[in-house]
Amino acid sequence: MGNRFVEMGLSAPVNVTWEVTFSCNLSCVHCLSDSGQKRSGELTTEECIRVIDDLSAARIFQLNIGGGEPFTRLDFLDLMDYAHQKEIVTCISTNGTLIDEEVARRLDHRLVYIQVSLDGATVESNDAIRGKGSYKKVLRALEHLRKRNIAVSINTVLTKLNFPELDKLAQLAASFGARSRVSRLRPSGRAKDSWSGLNVSKEQMVEFSNWLSRNLDVSTGDSFFSVTTEERRSLGLNMCGACKLTCCVSPVGGLYPCAFLQEPEFMAGKVPEDSLALLWDGSPVFQSFRQLEIKSCESCHRFDLCHGGCPAIAYHTQRRLGIPDPGCLANCVSVKQNQWPLASSQ
Amino acid sequence: MNDFTEFSSFRLAEGIQVRREKFGLLFYNYRGPRIYFVPSKKLIDDDFFDGKQTIGQLIDSIQSEHALPRKKIEHSLKTIFQTLEDKGLING
Repeated sequence: MGNRFVEMGLSAPVNVTWEVTFSCNLSCVHCLSDSGQKRSGELTTEECIRVIDDLSAARIFQLNIGGGEPFTRLDFLDLMDYAHQKEIVTCISTNGTLIDEEVARRLDHRLVYIQVSLDGATVESNDAIRGKGSYKKVLRALEHLRKRNIAVSINTVLTKLNFPELDKLAQLAASFGARSRVSRLRPSGRAKDSWSGLNVSKEQMVEFSNWLSRNLDVSTGDSFFSVTTEERRSLGLNMCGACKLTCCVSPVGGLYPCAFLQEPEFMAGKVPEDSLALLWDGSPVFQSFRQLEIKSCESCHRFDLCHGGCPAIAYHTQRRLGIPDPGCLANCVSVKQNQWPLASSQ
Repeated sequence: MNDFTEFSSFRLAEGIQVRREKFGLLFYNYRGPRIYFVPSKKLIDDDFFDGKQTIGQLIDSIQSEHALPRKKIEHSLKTIFQTLEDKGLING
């Protein structure tokens, strides 16, 4: 990854996360955006078209679509068709429960990736987090997508409940011809309440880091750079990409550094009223975020691998930016080896 | 690189997009997806890869803005295009 080129400042994001609605037919206990009911002020179809036009004009390459559940929007597939007309790649994150044969047919496009959420390898472990009946519906969706040969990954948010099932989840993904992806639980949305009960222990995080090193084909959405090992150095980012490579548009058009920092103090502006390219370049919020330095990490032996880790987790757990990621591997190791104590790295 | 002459032209390979940045060119491959940073500065515009312009025309264009020997420009371009082809980003 060309950090020095990223540090020079890109003219626009490489990809934009767009949460297209708060509406969701599930109520997962760790939902990052506390989704459920559609909320007032969500962008209309016409406004969404203007957002896509704006992103296309800024020459972003990829839209990472999330929510809420995107497929609850009746105009969603039409919006995706429009993005594809603009040659924008779409990676659609979905709970999978609304994907039937017809939806799979509409999704069969060279610019589409689907990311289906599954938080356990069994009915019991998945449905404990995502709700009763969701496991079976997800497997049906995966079958529809497999029949169409659509590029799919199965995303699992790492928790104490599914930590013992990682191998089984990877096998399950392989059985559907899907890629396995594990992402990090972050204490935003409903996960603020479920964080302490679901977040893996430091010992588990160390073990997970070793598991990732043995499973190089598992992707992480660059969410685990705080525990990245040398083996995975070339597989993704070694720093937070917020405001440098990516940013997030909320269902009501708010522009934020990332999906996990949708707090009023981090809002750069609103699209489509304001141009994304102008906000990206000129927003004081984004400019200051780019200058964020975690000085206390710079002397750490792992600094080149993570550059201080995830600011969102630091913010949500300690209400501060510019401090080390609390899940940093160096800190995790300190539990076992009494090295790299948290206190000395702050 | 088999064919790099004044008459050569190049197109983006399938699934590749490109845009201009301060450092040069930013390529995106939707397989992966992956991005590639090419520090070509202002030598090459991203619309060169629509295949309409030849290397000779590109060199003319560069010479009109920079007083550089033709051979030197050609050598720099050949190195850049070789790298892009090796990475599967362009086709001759």
